[in-house]
Amino acid sequence: MKLHPALKRWESVLALLLIAEILLFGAINPVFLQPSMLLYATSDFIHVGITALALTLVIITGGIDLSLGSVMGLSAITLGILWVGGVDIWVAAVAALGVGTLGGIFNAVAIHLSKVNPLVITLGTGFLFGGAALVLSGLAGATGYEGISNFDPAFVNLANLEVLGLPLPFALFLALTVGFMALLHRTRFGRYVYLIGQNPRAAAYAGTPVFRTLVVAYALTSLMAALSGLILASYFGSARSDFGTTALMPAITAVVLGGTSIYGGSGTILGTALAALLVGYLQTGLQLVGVSSHVSSALSGGLLVIVVALRSLSEMGRVWFQHRRVLRNVAAAE
Amino acid sequence: MAGTSPSDQPPPLVEARQIWKFFGSIAVLRGVDLTLRPGEVHALLGGNGAGKSTLMKMIAGLHRVDRGELLVCGEDASAMTPVIARQAGIHLVPQEPMLFPSLSVEENVLMHVPGNRKELRARLETMISEIGAGMTLSTQAGQLEVADQQMVEILRGLIRDARILILDEPTSALTPREVGKLFERIRALTAQGVGIFFISHKLGEIREIADIVSILRDGQVVLAGPPKSFTDAEIVAAMTHVEGKDGFTLGRVAAPAERGPERLRVEGLAGEGFADVTFSLHSGEILGLAGVVGSGRTELAETIYGIRPAARGRIFVDGKPLSGHGPRQSLDAGVVYLPEDRQVSGLFVNAPLVWNASALVLHRGQEWLPLARERADFSEQVKLLGIVCANADQPVRTLSGGNQQKVLLAKCLAAGPRVLILDEPTRGVDVAVRADIYRLIDRLAGEGLAILLISSDHEEVERLSHRVLVMNHGYPGGLLEGSDITINAIARLSFGVGAKMDAAQ
Amino acid sequence: MIIRFLQRHREASVALIIVFLFAILGLVDHSYLSFDTVLLVYGNSLILFVLAIGATMVMATHGLDVSVGSIMGLAAVVAGLLMNSGWGIPASIGVALLVGLLCGLFNGALVSWLKVSAIVATLGTLGLYRGFVHLLSGGSWIEGLPEGFKALTKAGSLGLSPVAWLVLVLLIVAHLGLRYTAFGRSMFAVGDNREGARLIGIRVNEVQIVAYGLNGLLAALAGVIFASQIGFIPNTAGTGMEMRAIASSVLGGVSLLGGTGTVLGAALGAYFMTSIDSILVLLRLEAYWNDIIAGAILLVVLITDGKIREAVDRLLRYQKYRKFIDPQAAGQNGEAAKAATRPLKTALDTSEARK
Repeated sequence: MKLHPALKRWESVLALLLIAEILLFGAINPVFLQPSMLLYATSDFIHVGITALALTLVIITGGIDLSLGSVMGLSAITLGILWVGGVDIWVAAVAALGVGTLGGIFNAVAIHLSKVNPLVITLGTGFLFGGAALVLSGLAGATGYEGISNFDPAFVNLANLEVLGLPLPFALFLALTVGFMALLHRTRFGRYVYLIGQNPRAAAYAGTPVFRTLVVAYALTSLMAALSGLILASYFGSARSDFGTTALMPAITAVVLGGTSIYGGSGTILGTALAALLVGYLQTGLQLVGVSSHVSSALSGGLLVIVVALRSLSEMGRVWFQHRRVLRNVAAAE
Repeated sequence: MAGTSPSDQPPPLVEARQIWKFFGSIAVLRGVDLTLRPGEVHALLGGNGAGKSTLMKMIAGLHRVDRGELLVCGEDASAMTPVIARQAGIHLVPQEPMLFPSLSVEENVLMHVPGNRKELRARLETMISEIGAGMTLSTQAGQLEVADQQMVEILRGLIRDARILILDEPTSALTPREVGKLFERIRALTAQGVGIFFISHKLGEIREIADIVSILRDGQVVLAGPPKSFTDAEIVAAMTHVEGKDGFTLGRVAAPAERGPERLRVEGLAGEGFADVTFSLHSGEILGLAGVVGSGRTELAETIYGIRPAARGRIFVDGKPLSGHGPRQSLDAGVVYLPEDRQVSGLFVNAPLVWNASALVLHRGQEWLPLARERADFSEQVKLLGIVCANADQPVRTLSGGNQQKVLLAKCLAAGPRVLILDEPTRGVDVAVRADIYRLIDRLAGEGLAILLISSDHEEVERLSHRVLVMNHGYPGGLLEGSDITINAIARLSFGVGAKMDAAQ
Repeated sequence: MIIRFLQRHREASVALIIVFLFAILGLVDHSYLSFDTVLLVYGNSLILFVLAIGATMVMATHGLDVSVGSIMGLAAVVAGLLMNSGWGIPASIGVALLVGLLCGLFNGALVSWLKVSAIVATLGTLGLYRGFVHLLSGGSWIEGLPEGFKALTKAGSLGLSPVAWLVLVLLIVAHLGLRYTAFGRSMFAVGDNREGARLIGIRVNEVQIVAYGLNGLLAALAGVIFASQIGFIPNTAGTGMEMRAIASSVLGGVSLLGGTGTVLGAALGAYFMTSIDSILVLLRLEAYWNDIIAGAILLVVLITDGKIREAVDRLLRYQKYRKFIDPQAAGQNGEAAKAATRPLKTALDTSEARK
């Protein structure tokens, strides 16, 4: 049976897995299959997906951003503090997004200046931004985990708004998916992202604007993280500095599971989007079945390990088979 | 060896029979036979990529033997690993020092050497003074000059009482005095029955120290025997002759170049690995840059292109100075560089062909990619260069070496260069594509491009160049023009054998 | 002169900074400048000390392990559950340590044998092991630990608890081991130049896996100490500790790229990180300043380290090419080459003149 080329792609596999997963959970608990259920369940995890979309860009360049969880908290707290200080909620929201973007630029600059592995730099900036969120919330008198509440109802309602029958956050996710797909696959910037990730040396030889591209990639990631923080603030009706601490793992899992190589150079936005939904619904489904959320969010870690281990094994296997084939050909030719 | 019956001779230390080695699907060694006897210095000679280092790494256990037999002291050694090699008394001194930069000299030499530390240190100090290396044990290895780093590598071999010592280009950074001392040590070791492999491309040293020389080319041994039974000319010919070339591409470039305006001028340029380079390049002219590996040619090209900083001297393009620049500025000025190592610096091997072809000109276009026009441009390049491919989206690595090189050429030509620097344009390319590329280079020159051609293939340099500048250890070794350009002249100047012989010819 | 000394001996720099911190503390209130304060901080640093030893070993091999926080939590939960089910204290601790060792070895296998990127592998096991914590503890905290267990970390002879003495011994043994034993040095060799180490005959995979294994074992010990000090075991035990452990080591001069560092330096870095905490408390500043200060310092250190390394690289390149770049420094080679070019220059000149 010849497979249509579209079916062979990883995104198709993901799509099939997603459908299978929904059907499976639906069989266990039919509530799962109700459209309103499926749509509104996304509000629980879609912030991870939104962030993962931009994170894909960074990982394709061969880097990583471990500070995005902290940026989520920082952006929420910024919103809270400004609101408590009397600033209009929408202006505060824009300011929060600005703070996030600056954080991303800071990441890129620090990486460029120190020429140190992005992993460790963003581990440090994660501490910095998270610490900043703690300080701000402490200064505002909202001790760490209580948070700032009593937001403008118009803002809190955002999470419940419907656009074309879809909850606003989910609609946003879909729009952003399309936007990032265009950015990565149709713009020069996206092409640079791929080239830098595939061969930084050849990119340098070709005069590619590496620093500029990286700044934009990291800034976009932090911007999306900040946006996610705002969405969470709206959804929960309060701003806490620890928003996002449990978002990093699933975000990276979504990107890697979506087909992006952690070493950079390859990956697609669609894959990340599908994988984000896959991982997200896994959590929702498990909760519905009665598994605690802590365990399910930790399971994405195990999923990540299995995926990369299998990838590594299959790559080693492929090389071994190719080697054997070459030797056999030479022997046959004699 | 005449007069001694086989049973009188001691058994060989190393015996290689019909060794094959593949990297991916490329055969690097195609049936190599080699023998090393105790107390013998066996030299290996050959061009870049001929397989010498690979063969030695296999003996040292770093690479697996794919086909053939490898015997060490009579025992099968096809499953050699570095650990077993150490136990067998094999030690490899690599071409590029593989030291531990953060550790001290003493730690580097004595790492993983069994025995009492104090005694070893004392022995080491004695050895250092005997060799005249003059370095302190506590210095961090990463801060040593390359010559001293190489010496540390050699010390590692000496302190380990190796029975089989492999020296891969050990003298490339040593002064003549240090080389003399090293040779004394080598003679002392061979007197004790140690067998030594000596890889080098310096004919003079090989004649001085080696008992046997084997010449490798394209993965096979093409000549073997005592050095004194070959003349320099025979050796050079064995190393540089490339099979299957006759007829296709030989024949001097037709008419003398119609020299147009000066495109590139370099004055007293010095940088990382070369100095005192001065030349001028005109439109329509092909200047060949010859020399052995390590003579500084690629570094010169990279400095002109802006990858490496220039230390002294000046560069002019179309009369305008070019300095403190990077690749982007070079491209804008009309200078394009085709890198020597196409897979590492030139191509994005996992990316589609069309992406590679447009990589240099993206910055001249618009943000929203004109994908249709990109493909159209690529189709034209395919026709122009005769690239054999199934479709524009296949990754570069699925193409043959020759076609990959054509894609790289397409990429460079797309940038509309006025000065084109080609670094080993036909390396790893089959015969037919080589002919295509030669025709293309001729045509480009005819159309007014100024071409700087770097090549280690002397026949190629002879075939294509109007003038030839030979580099020797980073300095200009000689300039040849017109009928002076012969393979022998180029080879001699490259190896530093002397231009005087030419006059005597 | 002093700057070069400080650069080469990072331990001295960190020690200086600690003294500086204490000086600030002393300025605010004389009574704080006592040996008791030093001991207090030492007692609070025990966990980080132990984690920093492990981090130093793993980083020496050019590896990284961000799952230590989860291993800590897992070991603590295992010990707690066993003790509460009637197992003796030594046996429970023993099993907990074994669990940590296995977790570490698994990490090592992923990184060394399967060649998975250390970041991703241990980020994944971070989640995986934390999942086991929640599974085993059933989501609830573990309380009612035996008094004998908690006494392990109560001050005893000379103001130090039994565990504090143990950690002191561990620090000394680890420092000497990494500095003076062949196996210890081979860890640095593997990180400094993996291929070079292979060439010398070091079994690089095995060395790295052992480093990860020991790191896991030490993380388990840290978890046990944590449980003893706090007296109960929350689900979140160990969260975020990996970051502090890596930060401590980097501050103390352990290089992320492998090859350099000492346990002494990492321990001083750990002591420094803890002293920020303790000093904030003593100065009655809010604890929420801790993270941002630590993060800022770490970044400053990383960027400075990076800049220094860049400068050293530039210096090395200069030395490599010195005879070309700086002809005054050219030796015999330069002279010989210059002599060879002289007759040819005339050929060049005449051809230039002919134009």
